[in-house]
Amino acid sequence: MKILHCPLNGPRNISEFIYGGELKTMPDPATCSDREWADYVFYHDNLPAVVTEWWFHSASGYWFLAERHTLTDEVLRTFDPGELFRQRVEFAHAETPS
Amino acid sequence: MTTQNATTGLSRPPLNGLHAERPRVEWKQLGDAEIPARFSGPTDEGFRLDHCGLADLSALPRFGLRGPQAAAALAERGYRLPDEPNRCRIQDDGSRLARLSSTEYLLLGSLTDAGQRVSMTAQDWATLPPGCYSLPRQDSHAWLVLTGASTARVMAKLCGVDLDAAAFPAGHIAQTSVARIDAIVIRDALGELPCLHLLVDSASAAYLWPALLDAMQEFDGGPLGLDALLSPAAA
Repeated sequence: MKILHCPLNGPRNISEFIYGGELKTMPDPATCSDREWADYVFYHDNLPAVVTEWWFHSASGYWFLAERHTLTDEVLRTFDPGELFRQRVEFAHAETPS
Repeated sequence: MTTQNATTGLSRPPLNGLHAERPRVEWKQLGDAEIPARFSGPTDEGFRLDHCGLADLSALPRFGLRGPQAAAALAERGYRLPDEPNRCRIQDDGSRLARLSSTEYLLLGSLTDAGQRVSMTAQDWATLPPGCYSLPRQDSHAWLVLTGASTARVMAKLCGVDLDAAAFPAGHIAQTSVARIDAIVIRDALGELPCLHLLVDSASAAYLWPALLDAMQEFDGGPLGLDALLSPAAA
């Protein structure tokens, strides 16, 4: 069994984790085009390189980030998303009359 | 013999239906629910308590809180907080406060007061202070407790994390997979008696309870009722 190091819980079997996709910068959902939003939600770069990815530890409900080389599957580092995200992201939206 | 249906208006912990199928189960009220008082004779259960027993504490109150102000809100209520994530601290009244991440906490009611303090705290926080979010655990999670000297050896059959007391001392928490079910495992002690609390998805508990009993067979383990947990050996 592969072992992944969870920043909160320590080393755990890979079967306890769920892959969450590449880390990408979210466009402003209020102003971006449909194409930009689809690119953010659905399309991946799939580069053969070190990629920062979201991973989820299922048993603790904890999302974290991992730097993984997608060719060798070597995980270089895992870290708490608090290193990159300092503030809660609020999704303000205006009601549109129906 | 009373049955779980004898008294109406009580809550129904998730495993009571399974317990009711056992031939000699006797029931007792704990808080607002019934819980098995014993599954077999006191001699058997006394042995299991010391060596390898499994009890269902799902009738006791439990409540989760998270958010940037969760620690301050708990401290204000007089709870003593664990210093770091994945640690659990025993409170003066016997309730347990588990810290599951930097901003998430889980309160477990005490057998001593049938969880009244935790229950009152949860009721008082029907409207939460700013910066706090509630995580109700009463219906989402079943609460099992594995007691006795063989707990770590039983868990070694079901879990990838080393839960031996040397590697996983009292007050430590492992959030991991147990028999393929996500579980919060807390090492604790009832008096001098080592035990592990297991909090698992309540719908999966009907699978985990017999799976644990099966794993316990080679250690002569079996189910325990509330009477054994309240016996002087576990005080």
